[in-house]
Amino acid sequence: MTNFIIRRLIQTVIVIALLSYFCFYLMTLMPGDPVDLMIQSNPRITSEDVARLRNLYGLDQPTYVRYWNWMSGILQGDLGYSRTYRIPVSDIMGPKLVNTFVLSFASLALALIIAIPLGVWSALRAGTKTDYVIGFFAFSGVSMPSFWLGLILIIAFAVWIPWFPAGGTETIGVDHGSWWSIVTDRAYYLVLPTVTLAYISIGRFLRFTRSAMLEAMRNDYIRTARAKGLSRVVVIWQHGFRNALLSLITMVTLSFSGVFSGATITETVFAYQGVGKLVYDSIIANDFNVAMISFMISVSMVLIFNLIADIMYSFADPRISLS
Amino acid sequence: MQAATQDPSPQYSSKDLASAEHAQSFWKIVWEQFITHKAALIGLFIITLFILIALLAPVIAMVTGQNPEVQNPMNRYAKPMTEATLSADQRENAVTRFQELNPEPSAQIRKEIAEKQLFTFVREEDALYDLANAEPDVQKEVFAKLESPGHLELKQTFDQFSRFHLFGTDELGRDVFIRLVYGTRVSIGVGILVALASAVIGLLIGAMAGYYGGWVDTLLMRVTDALLSLPTLPVLIVVSAVSVDKVPGLRSIITQSNENIMKLVFILVLFSWMTVARLVRAEVLSLKEREFVLAAKTLGARDRTILFKHLFPNVIAPLLVSVSLGIGESIQFEAALSFLGLGIQQPTASWGNMLFNAQDLITEAPFLAILPGILILIITICFNYLGDGLQDAINPKSIRR
Amino acid sequence: MKLLKVLVLGLFVTASVNAPAAVSNDELKIGITQEFENLNPLIMTMSATTYIYSMVGRSLVTLSPDGKWITQLAKEIPTIENKKASFSPDKKHIVATWEILDNAKWSDGKPVVCADFDFALTVAASPNVSVGEKETYTQVKKISWDEKTPKSCTFTYEKAKWDFNQLAQFRPLPKHLEQAVWDKYKNQKEGYEKNSIYNKAPSTPGLYNGPYKISEVKLGSHVTLVPNEHFYGPAPKIKKIIVKLIPNTGTLEANLRSGTIDMVSSLGFSFDQAVAFEKKIKSESLGYNAQFKPSITYEHIDLNLENPILKDVKVRKALVYAINRDELIKALFDGKQQVAIHNVSPIDPWYTNDPKKITLYPYSKREAGRLLDEAGWKLNNADGLRYKDGKKLSLQFMTTAGNKTRETVQTFLQGQWKSVGVEVNIKNEPARVFFADTTKKREYGGMAMYAWVSSPENSPRSVLHSSNIPSEKNGWSGQNNMAYVNKKVDEIIEKIDTEFDSKKRTALAQEILKYYTDEVPVIPLYYRSDVAVTPTALKGFRLPGHQFAETNEIENWSLQK
Repeated sequence: MTNFIIRRLIQTVIVIALLSYFCFYLMTLMPGDPVDLMIQSNPRITSEDVARLRNLYGLDQPTYVRYWNWMSGILQGDLGYSRTYRIPVSDIMGPKLVNTFVLSFASLALALIIAIPLGVWSALRAGTKTDYVIGFFAFSGVSMPSFWLGLILIIAFAVWIPWFPAGGTETIGVDHGSWWSIVTDRAYYLVLPTVTLAYISIGRFLRFTRSAMLEAMRNDYIRTARAKGLSRVVVIWQHGFRNALLSLITMVTLSFSGVFSGATITETVFAYQGVGKLVYDSIIANDFNVAMISFMISVSMVLIFNLIADIMYSFADPRISLS
Repeated sequence: MQAATQDPSPQYSSKDLASAEHAQSFWKIVWEQFITHKAALIGLFIITLFILIALLAPVIAMVTGQNPEVQNPMNRYAKPMTEATLSADQRENAVTRFQELNPEPSAQIRKEIAEKQLFTFVREEDALYDLANAEPDVQKEVFAKLESPGHLELKQTFDQFSRFHLFGTDELGRDVFIRLVYGTRVSIGVGILVALASAVIGLLIGAMAGYYGGWVDTLLMRVTDALLSLPTLPVLIVVSAVSVDKVPGLRSIITQSNENIMKLVFILVLFSWMTVARLVRAEVLSLKEREFVLAAKTLGARDRTILFKHLFPNVIAPLLVSVSLGIGESIQFEAALSFLGLGIQQPTASWGNMLFNAQDLITEAPFLAILPGILILIITICFNYLGDGLQDAINPKSIRR
Repeated sequence: MKLLKVLVLGLFVTASVNAPAAVSNDELKIGITQEFENLNPLIMTMSATTYIYSMVGRSLVTLSPDGKWITQLAKEIPTIENKKASFSPDKKHIVATWEILDNAKWSDGKPVVCADFDFALTVAASPNVSVGEKETYTQVKKISWDEKTPKSCTFTYEKAKWDFNQLAQFRPLPKHLEQAVWDKYKNQKEGYEKNSIYNKAPSTPGLYNGPYKISEVKLGSHVTLVPNEHFYGPAPKIKKIIVKLIPNTGTLEANLRSGTIDMVSSLGFSFDQAVAFEKKIKSESLGYNAQFKPSITYEHIDLNLENPILKDVKVRKALVYAINRDELIKALFDGKQQVAIHNVSPIDPWYTNDPKKITLYPYSKREAGRLLDEAGWKLNNADGLRYKDGKKLSLQFMTTAGNKTRETVQTFLQGQWKSVGVEVNIKNEPARVFFADTTKKREYGGMAMYAWVSSPENSPRSVLHSSNIPSEKNGWSGQNNMAYVNKKVDEIIEKIDTEFDSKKRTALAQEILKYYTDEVPVIPLYYRSDVAVTPTALKGFRLPGHQFAETNEIENWSLQK
């Protein structure tokens, strides 16, 4: 087991390293560089200006040299400097990363809170009207274009019924007396984007819970437990759900990997100060350092959570061999 | 059945027959199972309806007299259920064009009008222009009496002048209804193309990885993992900058007019075969230890034979499920890309780009944004139900991942 | 069900209720849709940053919304006529005296002096600082002053150019604060800009000299501003200003109507939205004004003169004749923008529409058809398109993907050309790709649509001079993306720079327009209008229509019932 984990860990690190070069290379393949963008915004830039700036930014060096410079900076803990905002990458990404995680985890939590009980319920009522209604609710969420849902929610609950703000992350320019008022203020802005993201992912969790539960309830020990005369609640939650839980946890672990990049479009619609929007902008504006750090975080999170899921899965199901 | 085993026909081996029977009865069971899933059946029905609409789009256009690309800029954002007329300039242009393209028939028509004095005009050579600017009743009368060859074509041109818009018009005064119909074509077409192409690629790669195992498996699966872990959007922007016609093999199927559709399909396929590959690999891994494969191996069958004859038929069922779900996903993906301005380009209509164009004015012309959104929603739900039904039918005990 | 009923009822009851527009001078929340960067005046390049910077920092002069050059930090504008400026003995340079206002101070109370301008020049000239257009600063060779009169500065200019006194973008840096950073990092590549106080602590007192100062900056989100008590001019009336970034134009209106923002700046609504919103203001009597102002921004289509089809001037002329630009403006913009006849806008003194001086192209499909026939492109009855030697008359038309106004115009024009038998294929790219490679390296097949933003009396050198055709050799700089070559035009451009007589200058500029309209390297479309939506209570707001932001007058803004 340890052997397997170590081997996979090494593989993962190698893949991350290779992908980082691949991404870097991709970025250089893209037409244009920061200087080109400056030329566009200022017609009077001369060819001397262009040569001077390219040299200053190190853009006149070959890709591998630039990659090496970048990588050695990273290894020394220097994340670089954002060309768009002209401040260090860590300064701009730090708070946005936190915002994105807050949004993603809030919506994940909301989705799970709704999906798991409903999933169990519809599994127990499989084939009935309840099951159909819940199933429809799940499918409609999965099938909804997220930006469309976002727009509709804004129109409904920010313009027609002004319950929530149309966009933003927090009320600007207000002195919060206590941490509690900060939390409530942030929560107020989180409601609509969280609902949007959660509704879209409920379906997946719900259907998964339902089939895991169906599977679990079909097992012999459930019949035994029932035959023993245990109460329904005990049978369902202690025997049935506990068995479904293992695969559910794997599923949730896997979905952590999307936490970083899953909210880009929702963040854009709600002008939410998250990292998804930043990633998109940094690529559009050729902000190399920001884009590369985002790539790295995104890629690493996916690979690492995949690894964790694999390991957990093997623990959960000893029949799967780890060779 | 008994007869078959007792008296095997010479050209088929008993094994072939057995597998044929197995296959037949298997699909029969699947179908019987499938029709018990009511929602999936309704889904299938609606999908068939949409596909029919997509296929019949030109017919619908002809019957309703609408054209998805005819603009009417003076009547932008018309409300649903309204009638809109083209501007005088546009009518004159249409006439000029008709006369340029059909010089002789139009001369005859002009002559006929002059001879029969069908209506009052200034000069014979400009008679058609005057007709274009005449009252609709006058036009009707004239057309009822015209006999010269080509008058039907002219009437077609005139029919375009005033049109009824069921769902109103868009930002260029184009008919929303017919654009939705044509959008069905593009959206579902893209969805199906992407899902099929990624199924084929995923099948090949997944089967190779699963069957050969060892370093082939490790390599292919790490590549799959790597691609899966790449953030999609950034890479899409890069790909959108690359000229696809430089990719060998694609040049033959790409023309200038379908370039951006094909490009989108290409980009989407690039990012959607991985899940299929993983699924197929897992199937193949479990299948290859099964008796019939082992038997074929011992009998000295070639790898290719085993893959194509024994493994592929057995993964088709789960593949179908993933294709069905994949279509829904691709349709959504197309919409999301359009939201970022990277999707299908104008003037081709797709639900995604109609939605994108409408979002700025969602409070003024909500219909424009709501309709394509609802269509995307409906069709995706249907494909999801279809996949669900297939899943249940193929493997009633299955676990969805 | 009951809940649903309540919900639906609530929907109807509250449907018409909107958060009231701001009416007090306590706070004004301005919405923008474009990103901004850190506010170091030397380093900034984005228009949203300039928009915000104009609230907190001023330069010697600026261009007013009436199109006149006016003073800001300077007492008066030096000219040859008023004897504050003169030629050097060898006639190669100009020496001008700029006097800074006595009460011009930084936000910590320290006076703005010549040394601050000199410091800015020193920093900008360094090879280790990434100033975009260095010449803004280095056009001044030397700044000198007497220690006894630190506010009376003598500028010696590198060249004798007529527009030497238009120093609107030459911005001073507070030497007393930034000198220490500069001394420490000046030898390090990009060391200064990474460690500048504007970057590390943007709300430090003393960084700004405008009516407001920064109290909080969150890049990618918002900026909060409060009045600067050391401002040289009248005290600003609004007590707090928040500039908020809302990147999605689709939700901009929702943000406005729900009171998240009070007004939408000129960097906000798309034109379509503004027109639609104006109608809604009337029909629902909302408390806003939609403001439109014709601007210098010139929307046009570059023709790739290396394309064999477009090499023929008849085809180029036919393309212009074939499009009904009046209807385009009327239909798509509600008549609120102006048809362009060339690259100089009507609010520019160089403008002319005199048919004796330039060639005009009134809309005529027949004329277009005639020219195309003459050029050998004959109509084919089967598909209604034109062919010559078996080759179809087909052109590629590109613009920035995701810009809805442009895409609508593009589709409109496509329809117009189709009706004269020209097939136009649309291919759009994200702006970064489009501007980086496609336009510069002339990888656009035939036509590329985009806009130029400039100031009045701007030399067309970068766009029309043949030395500015982007090429490998000049590092792809220059903006002559059509590859337009005309020796005569080159010569006139050289002459304009040193022509001090404004009448003669205008005559020269119009001579260029003659060539421009005659040879049609570019299809002029329209001059854009700037749009903004302000609360009716906001007084003193004027849209400028050029690149110098409306916030140059922010001290005059006030909110009153």
